[in-house]
Amino acid sequence: MGSRISIFATLAITVVFAGLSGCGYNDLQGLDEDTKAAWSEVVNQYQRRADLITNLVATVKGYAAHEQETLEGVVQARAQATGIQVTPDTLKDPAAFEQFQKAQASLTTSLGRLIAIAENYPNLKADQNFRDLQSQLEGTENRIAVARKRYIEKVAEYNKGVRYFPTNLTAKFLLHLEEKPNFTVADEKAVAKPPEVKF
Amino acid sequence: MATPLKGYGGRDGEPSWDARRGGLIGPSAQRNPTIVEDHRFCGFAGWLIGSRLKNRIRQQSVGFILACILSLVSALTSPSFALDVPALTGHIVDLAQVLPADVATSLTNDLEAHETKTSNQVAVLILPSLDGEPIESFSHRVGTTWKLGQKGTDNGVLLLIALRERKVRIEVGYGLEGTLTDLRTAHIIRQEIVPRFRSGDLSGGIAAGVRAILGTIEGTYQAEDVLSGHARSGQEPTGLQFLIVGIVVGTLAGLILSHGLQRTRALLGGLLAFFVAQSAGVGLGLVAAGVTALLLWLILLASRGQGGGWGEGFMMGPGGGFGGSFGGGGGFSGGGGDFGGGGASGDW
Repeated sequence: MGSRISIFATLAITVVFAGLSGCGYNDLQGLDEDTKAAWSEVVNQYQRRADLITNLVATVKGYAAHEQETLEGVVQARAQATGIQVTPDTLKDPAAFEQFQKAQASLTTSLGRLIAIAENYPNLKADQNFRDLQSQLEGTENRIAVARKRYIEKVAEYNKGVRYFPTNLTAKFLLHLEEKPNFTVADEKAVAKPPEVKF
Repeated sequence: MATPLKGYGGRDGEPSWDARRGGLIGPSAQRNPTIVEDHRFCGFAGWLIGSRLKNRIRQQSVGFILACILSLVSALTSPSFALDVPALTGHIVDLAQVLPADVATSLTNDLEAHETKTSNQVAVLILPSLDGEPIESFSHRVGTTWKLGQKGTDNGVLLLIALRERKVRIEVGYGLEGTLTDLRTAHIIRQEIVPRFRSGDLSGGIAAGVRAILGTIEGTYQAEDVLSGHARSGQEPTGLQFLIVGIVVGTLAGLILSHGLQRTRALLGGLLAFFVAQSAGVGLGLVAAGVTALLLWLILLASRGQGGGWGEGFMMGPGGGFGGSFGGGGGFSGGGGDFGGGGASGDW
């Protein structure tokens, strides 16, 4: 009698394990974590850029103080971008994600303008401090591109898991996971090309 | 239009990389670039050819089939503008063949010695051309494809030089971003490499760049630490580990759970062993199941105290095939490092 129960117990455990791995429970959980990690890296690199901008603006001011409009444009765009609270929950809210993306894109644009006016100031271009900041900024833009690319890939993988059968059932009824927003292609094109900097 | 199609073809008369990749012979691809480039055009051409036939039905169907075939062909032969990552043949991959043999040998020796001592993997790639791709994205692809640096410490560095574009980049693995910062790499490029390149001293610039890189990252990692750290934190459990755990768990569970009902032991134990070991692959799962069932069967025989019947009613899953490839000695290969886009670029 007891042995029969133990047989059923073994079978039940086996079926549960097999069932869970078959319906992608662990895979989905893993992918969910991966996308969060990839997103943190994106935010991290954007933050790094924002940190560098303060110094860059201060340096440019020393040589080109009368370029008020451009300088203020950068400062404002930076304030706007850093003013957005980014949490893992941002990924659950497409509107917040869109807002974050827009703010960063506008910072990219105004930063591009700032670098462009620097071309007109030979003294500024020759300034060691400016050149160093520019190298760091360039490196950071490149890291942003890499981090975004990885996020895009991870989210694509995750979204497939959420939509494909039968894992979509696990995602919907068991884990309550939803699709995550991704960066748009047009925006990606603009960012994938790092700013042209001549030494 | 001809420029991106030219590909690597640094020297005249040699088939370009594009040619090898796309299956089209270089010159003909250049003569008729539209065919390779625009799928819709091919479809249209197929329809045109088909429309010459008189019979209307045949015209349409033949045109349609031709269009399908042509667009398929063009899809197969069209170049994706991404340049292929060359094979990692050594610490220095000189596709442009600009480094004199003695310089290449001495640099390779330095890089090898450095790797033995610190486990850092530094490689140099010299390309005739980037084929229109930004140097940043290409060097990141090379770094991640070659997997320079050790797994876990990500201590790889790539020095990439593109001759036609006159661009140079130092790509830094995650684990070295702290010492070989963007700023430091920018300084190495600006102060060590570019001045020499400008004066025409290519090999001197490369040697100076490599020396500066090695000097900077010297002392970041020690080979013993990295390797023993690997052993301790153990990367991922290997297939063999899964197999052993599966067999042990399956056997024990089979013995305990099916107490008193001996015939089901083998079945249940085998099932459990399979589910533990299948994490490392279905083949291993089957092997584990087979071994466990065999063990339980033997125990059953022993406890009954009767011999014979070895071959009866027992089938072993399709086992075998342990293909565990242990890192071959000799040649240079990446250790599994990852890159996050750190480093700097410059031109001369």
